[in-house]
This record gives sequence, C-alpha cells and structure tokens, in this order.
Amino acid sequence: MAAPLYTTASGLLWHAGKILVITIGLPARGKTHISRSLERYLRWMGVKTQVVSLGDYRRKTLGGAQKLPPDYFTLGEKSPETIALRKKISDGCEQLIWDFFAGGGQVVIYDANNGTQIARHTLAEKFHKAGIHVVMLETMCDNKEIIETNIRSVKISSPDYRGWDPDKAVEDYYSRIRDHEKHYEPVEEKTWPFIRIINVGEKIMVNNIQGYLQSRIVFFLMNIHNRFRTIYFARSGQSLIEHSYRADSDLSPAGWEYAERLKEFVLERRAKSLEQKGINAKDRRLVIWTSSRRRAHHTAWPFLAESKNLPGQHAIPTRLAANTSGVATPQASGGGPSLKVKVVEKTQMSEINPGVWDGLSPDQAKKYYPAEWDRFVKDPYVFRAPRAESYHDLCVRLEPILIELEREQEDLLIIGHSSVIRCILAYLIGLPASEIPAIEIARGDLLEVVPASYGVHSQAFHFWDGPGRRGAVETEDANNFYENYAEDTKGKRRVAVPNAEIA
Amino acid sequence: MSGPENSRHFSFDLSQDLTRAADALKDIQARAARSSPMTGLPPVMFGAGGPMLKQFDESTASSRKGSQAPTPPKSVVGIGNKVAKPDYSEAKIVLAMVGLPARGKSYLSNKLMRYLKWLEYNVKVFNVGQLRRSRARQKALQSGVREDHTASYFSHDNADATRSRDQLASDSLEMLIQWLKDGGNVGIHDATNSTRNRRAKIEARVAKEKGIVVVFLESICNDPAVIAANVALKVSSGDPDYNEFSREEAERDFLRRIREYESVYETITEPHLSYLRITNVGSEVTLSRIHGYLQSRIAFYLMNLHLKPRSIYLSRHGESQFNVEGKIGGDSMLSPRGMLYMKALPALITDNIGDAPLTVWTSTLQRTIQTASELPYNKLTWKSLDELDAGVCDGMTYEEIEEAYPEDFANRDDDKFNYRYRGGESYRDVVIRLEPVIMELERQENILIIGHQAILRCLYAYFHDLPQADLPYVKIPLHTVIKLTPKAYGCDEERYTLPIGAVDTHRPKPKHTQPEKLVAKTSREYYAEQA
Repeated sequence: MAAPLYTTASGLLWHAGKILVITIGLPARGKTHISRSLERYLRWMGVKTQVVSLGDYRRKTLGGAQKLPPDYFTLGEKSPETIALRKKISDGCEQLIWDFFAGGGQVVIYDANNGTQIARHTLAEKFHKAGIHVVMLETMCDNKEIIETNIRSVKISSPDYRGWDPDKAVEDYYSRIRDHEKHYEPVEEKTWPFIRIINVGEKIMVNNIQGYLQSRIVFFLMNIHNRFRTIYFARSGQSLIEHSYRADSDLSPAGWEYAERLKEFVLERRAKSLEQKGINAKDRRLVIWTSSRRRAHHTAWPFLAESKNLPGQHAIPTRLAANTSGVATPQASGGGPSLKVKVVEKTQMSEINPGVWDGLSPDQAKKYYPAEWDRFVKDPYVFRAPRAESYHDLCVRLEPILIELEREQEDLLIIGHSSVIRCILAYLIGLPASEIPAIEIARGDLLEVVPASYGVHSQAFHFWDGPGRRGAVETEDANNFYENYAEDTKGKRRVAVPNAEIA
Repeated sequence: MSGPENSRHFSFDLSQDLTRAADALKDIQARAARSSPMTGLPPVMFGAGGPMLKQFDESTASSRKGSQAPTPPKSVVGIGNKVAKPDYSEAKIVLAMVGLPARGKSYLSNKLMRYLKWLEYNVKVFNVGQLRRSRARQKALQSGVREDHTASYFSHDNADATRSRDQLASDSLEMLIQWLKDGGNVGIHDATNSTRNRRAKIEARVAKEKGIVVVFLESICNDPAVIAANVALKVSSGDPDYNEFSREEAERDFLRRIREYESVYETITEPHLSYLRITNVGSEVTLSRIHGYLQSRIAFYLMNLHLKPRSIYLSRHGESQFNVEGKIGGDSMLSPRGMLYMKALPALITDNIGDAPLTVWTSTLQRTIQTASELPYNKLTWKSLDELDAGVCDGMTYEEIEEAYPEDFANRDDDKFNYRYRGGESYRDVVIRLEPVIMELERQENILIIGHQAILRCLYAYFHDLPQADLPYVKIPLHTVIKLTPKAYGCDEERYTLPIGAVDTHRPKPKHTQPEKLVAKTSREYYAEQA
C-alpha cells in the first residue's frame, strides 16, 4: 500500500522472494486478527500481500454452517460427501494462493487452522518446491478470557450464527473448538521456519527465521497487542504563518484557543468512552504524541498544564486575562489534577516537506514550476516536488512510528499535521496509497479510532469552528497548499472522512 | 469549558495581534512578488537571509509574549535553538550475556552497545573478565601475590576459585544495577552466565529492583571455523591473562578454559526467562518472552546482523556549485571539479573492489545522483540520505548567517549536535532519520554510499562509535572515498583521496580546542589495563 524503500526489477521488494505464511492454531486464538494486522502492515510497506481465509472461502462457496453436513467441523470419521466438500474447499484455497503468486503477489497469509502436522507439511512442501519461502505462524492462547472475548466479539457475529441466540452460539462454537482440540498437533517439527505467538504477543518464539521481510514480520508481531485503547487524532492549532514549512512558527491566538478547546473535548470524549467500557480513567494514562514543530507541541501544552493542575491553566495568555478581568474566569474542566498525561515529541512526525514550494501560493507554484505542478496534480501521492517529500517519502519516514503506534497500550492522542494524520489513518483503516493525499482532515475535528479484531472503528467529532478551521476560507494563501491539498480541492478527490464504522 | 462569550472576547482582543502578523505577511509577500519577476526565480519567503524573517518575528512579538502562560512552551525567533534529548529514563534493562568463551559474546555486546549509544541510549558493558583482571592486578600490586588465572582457575572443581568467580559476577551485577539507578538505560553483563543456577541468581537479584528488567542474550556458535577465529583473536589480542605465555601455550590454555566451561554449560531452557538466543550470528534467532519496545528493537537489530566479510564505502558527492560559493544546503549541480571526480570515481571503486558485487546508494539530491551517474553498478535512491535540512538558513553562506544572526550562530557552535535549525533539522534528527538506513546497511554486503557531509558524519560515527559531541566535527573531505571494513571489535578504515582539488567545507569548532584526535577502535580493549 504505501511505503517500499525500493523495488526490484520483478516488482517485488527487498529481493526477499515470495513468502507463504501458514497460520496454525485452534479456532478463536486470534489467527485472523494477527493475519489481518500483518496484511495491513505489509501492504502499507508496499508488499503485495493477501490473506487467504479458509473460513471466508468456505462461507462464500458453501454458505454458512447451517448448510453444512453435521460432521463438517469434527475431525474424526466423516462421510465421503463431507470429505469431498472439505477437499473442495482446501483445494480452492490452495488455488487462490497459487493465483495470487502467479499474479505478482509476494506474501500470502493462509488463514486456516492447519492443525495437523501432515496436512501443513504437505502444503508447505508443495510451495517450497516452487521456490516459495514457507513460514509457519502458530498462535496459541491459554488465556480463557482472550478466547471467550474473541468468540463473543467476533465469532458469533459471523454469518455461521446468523439468527442464533448468543449463548447457544457460544456453546456451539466451543464444541467446534473441542473437536479440533482432539486432533490438534502443535508445531514441534523443526522442518520449517516458524513463529509462535502466545496470547496475542505476550510471548513470541522464533525459530530459524531468515531474511529481511521475515525479520520485519517478527518485529511487527512482537509489537502488536489487543488491549482495549483508543487512538485520537487532531490537527495542531492555527499558527502565525500557516503557509510556510520553514518558518516553524508559533501558534496564533486562535491556535491557543483551539488548543484549550481540544483539551476539554478530548478529556470529555475519553471520559465517556472509558466509562462505557467500565474503565476507571485514573488507571489509564493519556499519551500524547506531537511532532517537533512548534505549533504541534504547543497545542499539547494545555494538557500538560492540566495534569500539573497549574493555576491559570487556561492557555489564554495571562496578560490578556488581566485585561479582560471580569469576563475571563478560567473554568475548571474535566480531568482535574488526576489527569495522567505524557507528551512525547516525535521528530519523524513533521508535516510533509514542500521543498521549493515552501511559502508559495498555488498560483505562484503554478507560475514558477508549471511542469512540476502538472505532475503533482496528476499524482499527488507519488510526485515529489523539487527537494520536497512525496506522500510516499512521508510514509517511509513514518514507518517506525507505526510500530510504536501498534506497541502503545495506553490511549493515544496524536496532535499532528494533516499530511501525517492522513498517512497514519490510511494505515489504520487500510486505505490504498493513492487515496492518502485526498483524505480531508479538518482542523476542529477529532478523529477517534478504536482498533478491533478485523480492523478499526473510526468516528469523527466536530468540536471547533474558529479561525483556521479551513485556511482557504480566510485568505487566499493562508495555507501551506502542499500540505493541505485535500482540503483545498474539496470535492475533487474527496474520500469521505471515515464517519461510519469500518469493519 | 470556556463559554462562547469568553472566547469571542479573547479572539477580539487577540485578533489585533493576528492582524498585525497578517499585515506583515501581506507586506512581505507583496514585496517578494514585486522583486521576483526580475530574476525569474520564485521568491524565497522565509529564508534567514533577507529581512523578512526578522520583520515577521518582530511583528508577532506581542502575541508571542501573550502566550507566556505559567510555564510557557518555548517560543520561536531567529534561526533555531538547542533541543533537549528525548526522555529515555523509563528504559532500564539488564542484558545478561550467556555463552561459552569464544562464542562472540563480546562481539555482540559491543555491536549492540554501539547501536544503542548511537541512538542516544546510555549503555555500558560490565565485563566480568575485566573486573577479575583489574582486581587481580590490584591485589598483585598491594600484596605481591599473583593469582593463578590459567584454566584451572575456571574449573568447576576448584571450589575457592569458583567462589571467587561467583563473587566477581555478583559484584559486577551490583555495579551494573547501581549504574542503571544512576541513569543508565542498558547495562550489559558480559560474562558466561553459563549455568541455570547463575541465571537464577541474576534473575532473583534484578527482581528486587522496581522498573528494571533482565533479558538474557545467549550466543551459540557451532561453526568450528568461527570459534577457531575467535580463539585466535583472543590469544593475539593482547589479553593480559596471557601476557607471559607463548601463543601456543596461550591457545592451549584458553581451549582448556573453554572445556572447563563446557563441562557445566547449560543452554537456556528455563521457560519463564526473557531471552534471545542467537545461533551462528545471522542464521537463527529464538525469542522468548521479549516484552517492551527497546527489547524488540534489540531483537530486530540482532536478527539483521551477519558476519560475512564486506566493506562499506562512503563518499561525498563531487564538489558542487554551492560548495564553491560557500553556501549550505540547496540542490545544485556539480562544479567542473566535481565533474572530474564523478568521472574518476568508477575506476577508483572498480580497482578496489574487483569483481565483487556492489550496490550504490545515493540521496535524492542532484549532486549525489550526478556523482554516481557513471558508476557501473546497481543504484538506489534514498530520501533518508538527503542532507541535513538547514531550514531557514538553506542556501546561505556561514558568513551570511553569522552576520544576520550572530548570537544564534554562536549558539549552534556551542552544541552542534543538539541544535535544530528553524524549520530544519538537528544532527539528532538526522540520526533518527538514518536508523532504518543503518539497519539496512547491517543486512547488506558491499555498499557504496554517495552522500552528504552531515549524513556521512552520522554514519561514520556509528561505525566508529564516536561520541555525539564529536560527531558534527568528523572530517569527511570532498573527493575522498572512505572504506570501512567491519571487524570483530570495530572497523578498519582506509581513505583514498583523488588528486582533484576541492574547497574545504569543514568548519572546526571555534573558540574551543579541536576535539582530541579521533582514534578509531578496531581492537578489543582491556579497560582495566589502561587504567
């Protein structure tokens, strides 16, 4: 999807060859969650990746579980019809894998139980003979809570259980697992390189893993978790020189107000969402990441003031507060002194560098760089203005941040720049690279993203309408147009701000 | 929550500031628009060269002052400022090595130390062997008694010696823990830690400390050639244990010592331990119970290492037009002398490397791409290799900067590593940006990087383990190829300077004395002996 460092003649990355990841594990052990996360990450890095899910394929070709013969999910004796059906499904999946490789794909993650040694060995052998690197990825889970949550939140909402009573569905699913358990053989063979993940990242074992892409996969898997948390995104406040990257200017007065309002709104939203989950806000720390641009980390300042519970925590200047005494009485707000907050500046999170176009208005850029302008408008993801960064460059730069984002267990607020938020959001939601430059991120919207099993739920909340919400409205070129191209061309390349749930 | 009246009132009052700033801006833009048609070049809006930046800073002075609430965040004026180091205080790890002698433990600890220090973690190796030698030396000095440190000392049957070795290991662990408490991040306990019993002791001791975790790093090597090379290195490296021995005697004794360890060695099988096991560096890695970001980075780094012989060639681009004019940054083409270098480079490289495969990496800037253009090798362009971004000072000469902003300029010289140009980067920012490049370099074999001064300084500092304060002053002259060949304890270096004249772009640290001559460490150090 987004960020290969370089490609080889074959269109594959890193000379890494083709890789088949075979998942192994009992049902409800998080195989799908891990497969999907990995797919999202590899695609983001520009690796052509596909999850082939046996369950999805079976549902597509044969329909839900209710249409299957009763012995379909038991691994013991079966009727010839059932054996034929099962073979049809696994052969069909295998064919999907071959097709994807033949079509130029680099990594396939085969999401199935693959519970018996002989079955997975036969499969691996076939692909190995074709020069494809095989990696076994076993997910184990001995934490009953994780399994139960997984069944309740994911499995029983599957089409297999449409119309079922939830408790009955859970019971039925457990019986399906029990059948598998009888025949399940954990990976003990050392024939193939293998990774074992226990309790979604609590422990990870790696054997004989070689190759860059493989080690990247391990590094990624070491950093994922499934603890409940929320990721918030907001733009930094308006700055004094909106349209210059280089000037790295301070917040404008409106920017300071915005910062204050943002703090209030985030704390309010967060309190609500934690309450819904029955989590005590005092047990959780809010981590804030900003770039090292001044307008970004200054926007986080009211949070720090709040956490220190300083007098006059209102970010509105004291000088003015004095001038307007009688009107300005800073209100005590949401979090109070109990707010636990940590602000981290990340240098990799600076906005996209506009290079020679810095400080220019679109008209000026068109005038001085007509050829470059045309190419930019044609493909704003790939095009790099002279000395500028393309969105692609930005994605490469942000890659280490994504790993840290996966790793972070606390609620996270990213106060950033629209270009950076676009890239990270595209990663989380799984949008194709070409759409990144067109995602509208309005100042004054708080985006709330909650990672879930099969992707993320995201919602946008509008909380501010002051100056600087849309730079273009006020003066012609108050914006860094390179950074804010999506907002400036609204309608033309519009992708809806993810408002609904995205599963 | 602030009511709507409040905010309206504030914005009304503050809008005057905003108007002032906007006016200044309009003025600046109008002037830029008027002046540019003459040159046909786009106006430079916020360079530190012209009067605009100062004018702007002055125009917004009042609103800036306004934002000085109780503990004000730092404001921006001028061309940049020093940036504080990120907070790594939460990372506290005891990394305890496990492995027989001559299995590359010290190699791995050194390599890791270099990487983590380069990333600004505070790392220290606590080598039990060196503590032993240093104590023995003291004892010899004080009492004249020379302890026997030949193989029999390492025998498990030698009860006295075993006790003394246990004591040394635990003393060294105590020192390590104290050092972590005093602000260290990663303390590497470089010892054999070869028995379950010893590891259990370490685990129990570290468990008493809140916020400190222990990770074991086992190095296994069953390639006889590698072991033999390690033994030879040990014997010939001036190990004080073998001062008065002939080479053969030393080798024989060392092999005996290894056998003593082998007889009691237990590989890590304890399921509850957090460990990494490296088998034949680069071929197999096992991770177990690895938690935490830093730990996973360490694991990722170790997974990318290999021991194949190779060289890394570093060269700056040929002399550029901007170099000739004394300007920094920019994206100029090569000067005529730079073109000569470009033409001479292929022969120099090919003579040196012969038929071996090589990949050339350049930045995205024209001067490096042009310099590499005649090289008959596969080439890759990295955005991450672009020169340090001088922000508002881009395109200026040092004299111009000094003239426009004398105080800021002096400020930068004060602490060049931490100084971030306004709208640009500091050396620290560059180091962070180069981390993926280092990771890729570790994986690759022969690589030639055609880069820029600041970039090559950072890479060079990584390979030679140079301290940050010295990093921005490393001499990387134009028209010179630096060949680095990684060895067990550092890098061998050769420099090839082509006889093509070029300007000197090196600015020594003013006022202060030059940093001491930087000595690249290529052999193993026996710290205690130098004390």
